[in-house]
Amino acid sequence: MGPVTDAPRSTGAGRDASLGTFGRYAGPATLILSSLAEGPKHGYALTKDVEQFAGVRLAPGTLYEALSRLEGQGLIEAVASTDRRRPYQLTAAGAQALREQLARERRVADVGLRRLAKGWGSA
Amino acid sequence: MTAVADREVRRLLRWYPRSWRVRYGEEFAELLRADIDERPADLRRTADVIRNGLLARLTAAGLSGHELAPEEQIRAGLATAACALIVFAAFGMAMLAQLATGWQRASAGSATTAAGTVGMAAAVTILGAAGLAAAVPVCWQLAAAARRRDRRFAVPVSLVLGCAALLIIGTRHFQNAWPGTGGMGPEHHLVPGGLAAFGWASTLSVSSYWAHPALLGRFPAAELAWMALSPAGWIGLGTGLVMVTRRLDLASSQVLRYLSHLAALATAAAALFLACASAWLLDHGAASGEAFRPGLVDAGELVAMALSLIAAVRAASGIWHGLLALPSPRRRPSAQIPL
Repeated sequence: MGPVTDAPRSTGAGRDASLGTFGRYAGPATLILSSLAEGPKHGYALTKDVEQFAGVRLAPGTLYEALSRLEGQGLIEAVASTDRRRPYQLTAAGAQALREQLARERRVADVGLRRLAKGWGSA
Repeated sequence: MTAVADREVRRLLRWYPRSWRVRYGEEFAELLRADIDERPADLRRTADVIRNGLLARLTAAGLSGHELAPEEQIRAGLATAACALIVFAAFGMAMLAQLATGWQRASAGSATTAAGTVGMAAAVTILGAAGLAAAVPVCWQLAAAARRRDRRFAVPVSLVLGCAALLIIGTRHFQNAWPGTGGMGPEHHLVPGGLAAFGWASTLSVSSYWAHPALLGRFPAAELAWMALSPAGWIGLGTGLVMVTRRLDLASSQVLRYLSHLAALATAAAALFLACASAWLLDHGAASGEAFRPGLVDAGELVAMALSLIAAVRAASGIWHGLLALPSPRRRPSAQIPL
């Protein structure tokens, strides 16, 4: 399977490949990228996968707004398909953006856990 | 899949703009069908789709922070700015026509009102000049399209010409009833009398008479018909211009930059107009003469203009972001001095 030729909403070329400009869609975008890190998925499969590993059900409108932004930034790309449910896959820029985002979140989690352990003791 | 669910999917899809539906509509419909199968009645899903559909519409209009590709962002921003500024100009002309009538008959009686009125006239002049300057490259492209027998512009250009003709013919007919006719003399002409009368007649529908049906009933039937019909002319003119702008082939970055700067200038002029109009409204009662006293309809016009200006500023900001993202024009390689 190869990328389809439909022009995305904006070209990701030359843009900062990070989720910094996603605002309140940064959370859904991280979940989508994490799901696609496993392999290409269409909208419904993405919803189910995210629900399973994160316990969050992405509403259809939110999912597609995040998908269109990710595609616009060149972080994911549509995969050619004969099915009406078009799958998406991670791009190299998307993998890098996810790696950076998760590293940021891990740093925050590490600090929070360390401070909790110091002030409140281990659970 | 029931017919009811199918109808629900079609209904939800309508919240999104056509360009979005062309790209994502089919796959999004599939996801919605699956979601409706699992949870037939879900108000949160409906609210989510409405919110994101409206956001997609704002994005398509170049009004959201979520940027499109630079050229598309500029094109969408220009179309939205043109539409917002036409709405602004229509209400602005209605307001200025009232003040020009008062100016014709008496002095303003208050420095704030006088300065505000002159400022509004200057702002409308800048707006008009920017509009004419923007029309030059647009007309050039339309002429080129006509030579190529490009039919994409046939409908929007017909709409613009038809509505412009309606507004000009109707206005020419009714402008003789302008209340400023027979004023005090040339020194009392804030704007040329013909233009003031044109502004007044083309915006007759912006009136507090709608709230007084008994008074409205005394108007001649033709004038009432014109008051009801002329807003359609303005709406058609704005719609046609937006359609033309969205179909323009703005491949030249110089033309894009030229139009973008004009949009910024026109938006600044609209901001000046709004500031002057606000000063006049806040000066309430200080001015002499009935035409200088603001009423409820003027406050309503100010609100409508403020909303239009917000849209124009958002569009101008999107245009600016698009301009910054545009690749720089190619420069000739400079001669290098051998070291």
